[in-house]
Amino acid sequence: MDLIKTYSNIIKKNLGNPYRAFKLIKLGFDIVYKYVSFFPDKRLPESLKYLNRICIKNIKKPIDHPENSIWVNIFAPTELLIAMQIYPLFIEAYSSFMSGFLIEDYLIDKAESAGISNTLCSYHKAFIGSGELNILQKPKMAVTTSLACDANINSFRYLSDKYDLPLYIIDVPYEYNRNTVEYVKKQLIEMIGLIEDVFERKLDIDKLREIIIRENETRKLINEYIDNLRLRSLNSTMTFEMYMLFTSHVFMGMEETYSFYKMLINDIKRAPLRTGKGIFFVHLVPMFENSFKEYFNFNNEYHLLGCDLNFDFLAEVEYDDPFEGIAKKLILNTYNGGFNRRIHSLGNIIDRIEPDGIIQFCHFGCKQSIGGAYILKRFFKDKGIPFLAVDGDGIDKRNNQEGQSRTRLEAFLEMVKRR
Amino acid sequence: MVGYVCKYTPIEIIQAFDEEVLRIEPEGKAGEDVESLIHPNMCSFMKGALEEILKNNINEVVLVNCCDSIRRLYDVLKGKIEFIHIIDLPRKTDDHACSLFYNEILKFIKAYEDFKGKKIDLDKFIKILNDCKTENQNFKKSIAVLGARFNGSVLEKIKKRCSLNIINLTCTGDNRLSKIEKRDNLIFSFAKALLNSFPCMRMVDDRLRFINKNNIKGIIYNTIKFCDFYSFEYATLKSALNLPILKLETDYSDLNNGQIVTRIDAFLESVGAGRPNVKIKKKGYFAGIDSGSTSTNVVIIDENKNIVSYSIVPTGARAIDSAKRAYKTALEKADLKEKDIKYIVATGYGRISIPFSNKAVTEITCHGRGAFYFDREVRTIIDIGGQDSKVIRLDNSGSVVDFVMNDKCSAGTGRFLDVMSETLGVSISDLGRVVKDFKEDIVITSMCTVFAESEVISLIAQNKEKKDIIRALNRSVASKAVSLIDRVGRRGKYMMTGGVAKNSGVVYEIENKIGEKIIIPFEPQIVGALGAAIIATEIGNPSQRQQQLYNTGIPEN
Ligand code: SF4
Ligand code: SF4
Ligand code: SF4
Repeated sequence: MDLIKTYSNIIKKNLGNPYRAFKLIKLGFDIVYKYVSFFPDKRLPESLKYLNRICIKNIKKPIDHPENSIWVNIFAPTELLIAMQIYPLFIEAYSSFMSGFLIEDYLIDKAESAGISNTLCSYHKAFIGSGELNILQKPKMAVTTSLACDANINSFRYLSDKYDLPLYIIDVPYEYNRNTVEYVKKQLIEMIGLIEDVFERKLDIDKLREIIIRENETRKLINEYIDNLRLRSLNSTMTFEMYMLFTSHVFMGMEETYSFYKMLINDIKRAPLRTGKGIFFVHLVPMFENSFKEYFNFNNEYHLLGCDLNFDFLAEVEYDDPFEGIAKKLILNTYNGGFNRRIHSLGNIIDRIEPDGIIQFCHFGCKQSIGGAYILKRFFKDKGIPFLAVDGDGIDKRNNQEGQSRTRLEAFLEMVKRR
Repeated sequence: MVGYVCKYTPIEIIQAFDEEVLRIEPEGKAGEDVESLIHPNMCSFMKGALEEILKNNINEVVLVNCCDSIRRLYDVLKGKIEFIHIIDLPRKTDDHACSLFYNEILKFIKAYEDFKGKKIDLDKFIKILNDCKTENQNFKKSIAVLGARFNGSVLEKIKKRCSLNIINLTCTGDNRLSKIEKRDNLIFSFAKALLNSFPCMRMVDDRLRFINKNNIKGIIYNTIKFCDFYSFEYATLKSALNLPILKLETDYSDLNNGQIVTRIDAFLESVGAGRPNVKIKKKGYFAGIDSGSTSTNVVIIDENKNIVSYSIVPTGARAIDSAKRAYKTALEKADLKEKDIKYIVATGYGRISIPFSNKAVTEITCHGRGAFYFDREVRTIIDIGGQDSKVIRLDNSGSVVDFVMNDKCSAGTGRFLDVMSETLGVSISDLGRVVKDFKEDIVITSMCTVFAESEVISLIAQNKEKKDIIRALNRSVASKAVSLIDRVGRRGKYMMTGGVAKNSGVVYEIENKIGEKIIIPFEPQIVGALGAAIIATEIGNPSQRQQQLYNTGIPEN
């Protein structure tokens, strides 16, 4: 911990010199990578050790090779990029690492002093702040979806202007129907044209099909994992739930991702039975919040069973017409459209996992999610499952009211336990 | 009647059902009822709209898939009112987007026909489109209103005050449907024209290319709390267009208050778009001069107590010189001559040494009046200036009923913070920041500036985190203020005035200690001068109002 703090202070001192700051951040990733490769946490099952390695390895790629990278948001259809051997840098992950390096406060302040609203989601503010400081190396282009929140288009447009990047925005309509699928499909084709021009290479459609077939195989494993969660739990840490967002989204379709879920199934099948209380999260898990860490990291009393963002699309993607398949996947994402979709899918997952309690971490600035908090409250009340909505910030630790959230969390867990 | 919020709503279609449309314009802040329906950290306009819809029993509402807040508004309203429909608005405007939007409009027509049990009247629709006024599109010599949605009634007010054309390019703007092309598929053409309205920030289109800067004289740029769209544009806009811009930050409900309108007036005047005849109608102007130990502030108001201009200058060696300078600046800003001012009231330490004033009144009374002008619910004023601090209690008519002061030493004042910022080597604005993520809860024990300074020096020597020391200093000032508050007794609402009110760190710590929000006026340093000016209107225009309020029985020492 103190080591990180020292490191963080060194970066902060060098933020005035963008290139040196970038080098230091790159070094940070290198060290973390070496560290998890050589000294993995012994308490972790094999699959999660592997997850740790592949996540850092793949997030390092765009940082090490910006000239072969594209900035994306977490919902961007990266299958297309993987098929073209382009490295996606997804901004939410980048910001999480910056928070892990303890420099998010500085980056966020930087974004705010450039005029960005202080109520914007901090995943975006931290990224914009890095852009303002020029410590992001210029990628070839940027791609974002309008899904799942307003922040995407504006942040990407802002930084693309600043870095003079070609930007493609995929507008994902609210509803699923023939017209909307066609609309998204046309955009995907247009986007690929742009990417092909920018990178001067062609998309091999068979390669894309191969990736989607692997993606479908991987999703079968995810479904199997969900069904195992009803009885068992791996008892790891919140960080790994967040790492799984990498594999369930941006790195989906990679061979390594497939191998990870294979290993995960092996591990969960041999994991101990759920003896404590199982808690399922809505949207995000607060991996930097101390009170949550205490209760959910390596704890047998309370099991962290997952978060619904990891399960936002569980069906197959058509691979004979991959563009159509991806278009449908985007529109049908449970984070798109009306909140009834979220409710419906949460209902399904919960019936499969049977958690003892649900927590929605209301990340400051995330209107799409917190705007549904009271609807969820009613829904879970009717379902008879204890539900807690607690405010905080997944990135900006200054927005976390440690005392308040601890009291609420503990009271909630006591209540769950009494049942 | 059908309620709507967005300019992309096909209101002409609704009217073709022979139904009236009503743009939802919440006037006040959303109350507690709403807090039980939706999380508080959502867009303040949306919360206001939710309240308005439920309170006024607006039973039919058509929304557009605008933003995350509106999407959730739809989810919350569903099942609560008789008819609620959301129209998906594509973010692009190409052919595919047009046909998507066309389909959305057809879907809406179908849904509304089913609900009403009647058909749309297409003849009526044609007639409405023919009558539809299209606003002047070439932006001839105009002031543009841009940014987040702008309240219609405030806009009307501004139009009256502005000598130029005003174009509303926000969500409430109605310059639409300039060209409906082919008439063979009327609804499609209508959809296309509607989709091609001046793009808002949720659209992919580059808005700036639609603005012909040659014809625009200035921009009023609005932003709304928790609406993040528009903060992105303001900075770019400012550098790209090089036009005068007035930025407003509101929570929508407070767009209509005096301060904002005053700022708009001042802006219009500065770009030469104010209505010249507005001034001539006035019977006269009144000034208040607050001659304080660190700054001298002047406010000029008109007979209706609208702020016309103000100035803040540092107080120099001679109070009279600073007063003259501040007075002159304020006159210039208002474009007035000395003879236009009918009556001057002076206040503050130096009030008796200002020969050109007509009367001197204590700063206690003046602060009371000034604060009450800003918010009639204020009962406690915390004034922390450069060298003194005081707490004033008002009753519900705005009269001063009690006060305590600390003017013996600089502990807990602006001076204290100035000294400490030098000692710490941080700027005053850095010192003013709110520190929530402190590592260590440091307490500065000495109240006296001199001793506290040596305490800070030793904290620095111990390598304590700067932000922890900053927090400790702000807490020290805050606790001094709270002890003053406790001497008059706690009662809300609270308002903070004086230079230190600009230090959000101190404000935050006081709020923490008293457990209540503190109102900070837009310029906390002019409250005393404003109060003096208000008293000037009442003495100088005796017919206007009874004089009893400033004769509060507080001794004039
Ligand atoms: S946390 Fe919410 S606001 Fe932030 S990027 Fe994710 S969906 Fe958007
Ligand atoms: S931001 Fe756009 S979509 Fe939203 S209300 Fe305003 S004009 Fe309509
Ligand atoms: S003001 Fe902004 S956040 Fe609020 S409803 Fe309008 S566009 Fe949405």
